[in-house]
Amino acid sequence: MLALLFILFAGLAIGCGLAVVAQRNPLYSAISLIGVFISLACLYVMLAAPFIAAVQVIVYAGAIMVLVVFVIMLLNVEQEERGRPRLKFLVPTAVALSAILIAEVAFILVTVQEFRVNPTSAPSNVGLTHSIGTQLFTRYLLPFEITSILLLMAIVGAMTLARRGGMLSPNARVVPGAQVLPLSMVDPNAEPDDLRPVEADTSEEAARTLGITDFRNQSKRD
Amino acid sequence: MEPQLSWYLALSAILFTIGVTGVIIKRNVIAMFMCIELMLNAVNLTFVAFASFFQDVTGQLFVFIVMTVAAAEAAVGLGIIIAIFRNRESLDVDDASILKL
Repeated sequence: MLALLFILFAGLAIGCGLAVVAQRNPLYSAISLIGVFISLACLYVMLAAPFIAAVQVIVYAGAIMVLVVFVIMLLNVEQEERGRPRLKFLVPTAVALSAILIAEVAFILVTVQEFRVNPTSAPSNVGLTHSIGTQLFTRYLLPFEITSILLLMAIVGAMTLARRGGMLSPNARVVPGAQVLPLSMVDPNAEPDDLRPVEADTSEEAARTLGITDFRNQSKRD
Repeated sequence: MEPQLSWYLALSAILFTIGVTGVIIKRNVIAMFMCIELMLNAVNLTFVAFASFFQDVTGQLFVFIVMTVAAAEAAVGLGIIIAIFRNRESLDVDDASILKL
């Protein structure tokens, strides 16, 4: 019974994994990858690791894949165009290297059979949240804290990489007549309640009219 | 018949190999990124299988930390992908052969 379940989920994982590689549209690849994650979560449940299974579904299938799908849709990725010049020997090389890797692993799995795991029938608390939390906050406290620093670095790095330049992007343009602000909001020295609109076609012209000389330098400094 | 430890290891090896093949074959950055995630998951399966068969919780803690690293990698990697796309208007790795943004 368990063997049948294993075959079912393993087949699902392998099939979805092949689909990840075979699909040309990245969105379909992402959905196949979610299938891999879900079937691996089922395998974790079979391995008596319910906490890891739940985290797998929440973190991987939930958070990370939502991020990936979001980026795919944000960038509006089209299908990979066929027939573009590309190294011709790449696919045979990849298949050959994969075959070598599989052969090595099969060799190890076949030859190293001395170790016999005697399955313990006694109920254990290895995979439960309680035991994981106890170990995580006592014996493995230092890796846990280092992980928090890693996450902080990831947050800072992602914001630094993904943000667009400074406060005022070089591509930002003043749309003529787009909005009328009181001059006192822009220039604190101006007399209040001055709603005279500024006519400008470009950012530079608007800056000149408003008497701001160094807005480019301000934006470059960040 | 109970699933043996070697079954899980074989499945993990197959998934890892699929991931390696994808990283070599694919030319879209996001697809390569997803293949790397696939490889990470294959290794996670190995950890959980050993933890379950050896009755040791350390492997599952490793999986926990690997997931954290994967999340950090996803955030930073997708930030890099967005930066590359903004500069080159393309996600093809062949267009991004120079590391300069």
